[in-house]
Parts: sequence; C-alpha cells; structure tokens
Amino acid sequence: MAYQFEFTPVFEHADLLLKGAGFTLALTVTGAVLGIGLGIVGAICRAWQLKPFNWLFGAYVEVIRNTPFLVQLFFIFFGLPSLGVKMGEWEAAVLAMVINLGAYSTEIIRAGIIATPRGQLEAAASLAMSRAETFRHVVLRPALQKVWPALTSQVIIVMLGSAVCSQIATEELTFAANFIQSRSFRAFETYFVTTAIYFALAVLLRQVLMALGRRFVIGRPA
Amino acid sequence: MSLVKIAGLHKHFGSNHVLKGIDLEIAEGEVVAIIGRSGSGKSTLLRTINGLESIDDGEIVVDGATLHAGDKDLRPLRLKVGMVFQQFNLFPHLTAGENVMLAPTVVKKTPRAEAMEIARKMMAKVGLAEKFDSYPDQLSGGQQQRVAIARALAMNPRVLLCDEITSALDPELVNEVLSVVKQLAAEGMTLVMVTHEMRFAREVGDKLVFMYQGRVHEAGPPRELFANPQTEELASFVGSIN
Ligand SMILES: Nc1ncnc2c1ncn2[C@@H]1O[C@H](COP(=O)(O)OP(=O)(O)O)[C@@H](O)[C@H]1O
Ligand SMILES: [Mg+2]
Repeated sequence: MAYQFEFTPVFEHADLLLKGAGFTLALTVTGAVLGIGLGIVGAICRAWQLKPFNWLFGAYVEVIRNTPFLVQLFFIFFGLPSLGVKMGEWEAAVLAMVINLGAYSTEIIRAGIIATPRGQLEAAASLAMSRAETFRHVVLRPALQKVWPALTSQVIIVMLGSAVCSQIATEELTFAANFIQSRSFRAFETYFVTTAIYFALAVLLRQVLMALGRRFVIGRPA
Repeated sequence: MSLVKIAGLHKHFGSNHVLKGIDLEIAEGEVVAIIGRSGSGKSTLLRTINGLESIDDGEIVVDGATLHAGDKDLRPLRLKVGMVFQQFNLFPHLTAGENVMLAPTVVKKTPRAEAMEIARKMMAKVGLAEKFDSYPDQLSGGQQQRVAIARALAMNPRVLLCDEITSALDPELVNEVLSVVKQLAAEGMTLVMVTHEMRFAREVGDKLVFMYQGRVHEAGPPRELFANPQTEELASFVGSIN
C-alpha cells in the first residue's frame, strides 16, 4: 500500500513553523553579530600575540573546535547551574552559538589579519599611525574582505547547527517541527517542510550576508 | 644647523653587521642621493631614519626628534619624516584621496573638511587632481607612486625619504615620478633618496652618498664625485652603472 502524503496537518501549524523560523533567524543573527565580534577580539589577541590572551584564545579555539556543539550547549545549560550560573534556554542557546562561532571566526579572521602585506603595515607606521589605528583603518577591512566568504559559510553552518538547541527546548524551528510531528504523526511531511524552510533560510542568509559584505566590508562599487 | 643628524649609527641583523657606524648630516632643503651596490645597507639606513628598523648604537636626530637604541616611542620622529616605498604600498580599500586623507584625520585629528582640502592640494601637486576618487588598482604604477608621495606630503614632513621609488615602474612611467620629485626639490623640500637614476642624482642632488659594505664610503657634491671618484670602489661602481 502506497503512502498517502498529507500536508494539511503540517500547514495547520504554519504559525508555529513561522515563529520557529523567526527564532532560528534571531538566534543566528544575535549569535553572528556577537560571535564575529568575539572573533575579531580573539583574532587580534592571536595575531598580535598579546600575552596571556593569545594563549587563552588559543586554548579556547582548540577546545571548541574539537568538541561537539551539542555537548557545549548541554554544558552551558545543564552543567553551569551546578556552579550557580543559571540561565534560560534562549540565553543558553545564544551563548553557546556565540562561543562556538567566536572560536571559528577567531581562526578565520586571524588568517585574514596575518595575510596583510608587510608593506601596508610599514606604510601606516611611516605615517605615524599607532598599532591600534593601523588595525582599525588599514588592516581590518581588507582582512574581513578576504575572509568574508568563509565567515558567511561559518554563520550558515552555525544556523543549521542551531537545530540542536531544540534539545534544551529553545523554541526554534526544529523544536517546532518536533512538536508538530508529535501531534500529527506526519514525520515525512513535517520534516520535508522543515528541510525546505532551512534550505530557504540558508539561501536567504547567504544572499544577505554577501550583500552586506559588498556594502560594508568591501565598501566600494565593484 | 643640520635638519637631520646621524651619528655613530650601528645596526645588526643577527650576526650580520649591516650599518657600521654611519655619520651623516643633512641641511634643510638639501637633496641627498644615496647610491651603492645591492646589500650595502641603503634601505636599512633609510628605514632607521623613521624608526622602521631599530638601531643598536648611535643617534638619529631629525628637527629635534631623537632616536636611540631601545627607544619605544617612535611617533615624534615619524611625524617629522615621510617615506615613499619602492612598492607604493597604497591602501587598496581606500580611494587615492582617502589614502591621502587617512593619516591627517587619524593621527593629527585634522577635521575631515580640512583634511580633504589638504588631500586635494597634495593630489593636485602630484598632478592627479582628477584621480581623487579612483582606487589604487585603477591607477598605473606611476600614478600610484605619485599618490604615495601625496600621502606622505599630507603629513607635512620635514624630510621625505624615497627608497628606489622608480625601480618597480615600467621605464616609460619613471619620468612622471621623477619630475614630481624634481619639483619638490625646487620647492625646498629636504629629500633623501636611494636611487639608481644616476643622471637624476647628478642633476637634482646637492649631495651624493656612496654606501659600501655598511659604511658611507664617499660623500660630496654629485658632479665632483662622479667626475673624480676618490676611491676605487666608487670608480668601479660608477663604471658598472654607465
Ligand atoms: N629584515 C631583515 N632581516 C635580516 N637581514 C636583513 C633585513 N633587511 C636587510 N637585511 C640585510 O641587510 C643587508 C643590507 O640590506 P639593505 O639595506 O636592504 O641593502 P640595499 O638597500 O643597499 O640593497 C643585506 O645583507 C640584507 O640581506
Ligand atoms: Mg634597498
């Protein structure tokens, strides 16, 4: 007997899916802004070898890059309360994403910073610019420009990875999908639609990030 | 009173003793051409004068700003000294005009409108007023180098260092850069140039410095030195060039 597709029970919960997708986006945008910010700080500490921060960021990057995101999330949400640090599922999810993206973007942005040609730094120095002034006006934009495609991909990876935040009951897209599936028993239809939404979000996010890159990072007419 | 005074300057790169006691005085408005074989320490000497290389011994004084071994605060010196590099080193993400405006706004906190005015003046001086909004990669090598000169001039330095600024250029672009330098010399700018353009050194230079193995081997008026080298090394260097 052939399976009868039945999407109506899924679309009856369209509001939940929309809200979940909105949550996922909000989580991603917050995580991306703060995570890339953290990455810039980390990259400066690493590239300039600011002791002891370069060492701390180095250890942080290694730990995050070599452990599963889900475990990082559980550690924050279930582990930290033992030390008296309690937070809601939204805060825990954001924090986990910032910490995760912060580590990857530290490495990505650092690669952009150390690729700065020496002549650029010498030209800035010869104009009496300080190291901080040089970083802000000479190094940062070309560095971000070089690594923007890699950063964009990483943000999308983190957005897709945010699905595991459903495990601590953050009401994002996958949480909504699980809920709908458990009510409708329409697993194929539910996850088919959910997959399509994630796909659309990823494509949309990539377009938006690339446009932002052209506007603010590259900052010149192509 | 000399504007630039270098005394007993020593510089090592590891065990390589690159500058072996340089003494050099440069008067205000003087044009000094530094010549010598590759590896004789010309670039290193120039780079010590604005603190791009640290020094191991001796003293550099530029218009009251000093540099000694171990000095950390290089800003006073760099405010007096401008530099133009062989490879132009323009900031690729900024327009020509923004390249020129950057240091005045960031370092000297010059208000934007005023910095813009300075930049336009400097771009006009190097004959590139109409390229103000072009990006470096839209300019020829000669034009980029002229922007680099304008960028250095916008900080109003007391002395301008030029390290083989025409060596990376196609031959037909050399003259447009040299004529800018010539004009600066005529306006009384103090210039220290490492150059392979012997004819230019002879025509424009007030003083010729021949570096040999980390020392000032011979120095004096260019015409005299070229016509009548006192050392075998200079004679053979001049011979090898012509
Ligand atoms: N950053 C550096 N590190 C190590 N050695 C250097 C460095 N810069 C220059 N040198 C050495 O110093 C010597 C003088 O170099 P340089 O001043 O560039 O000579 P020139 O400009 O006359 O060709 C050379 O032996 C060169 O290899
Ligand atoms: Mg050289």
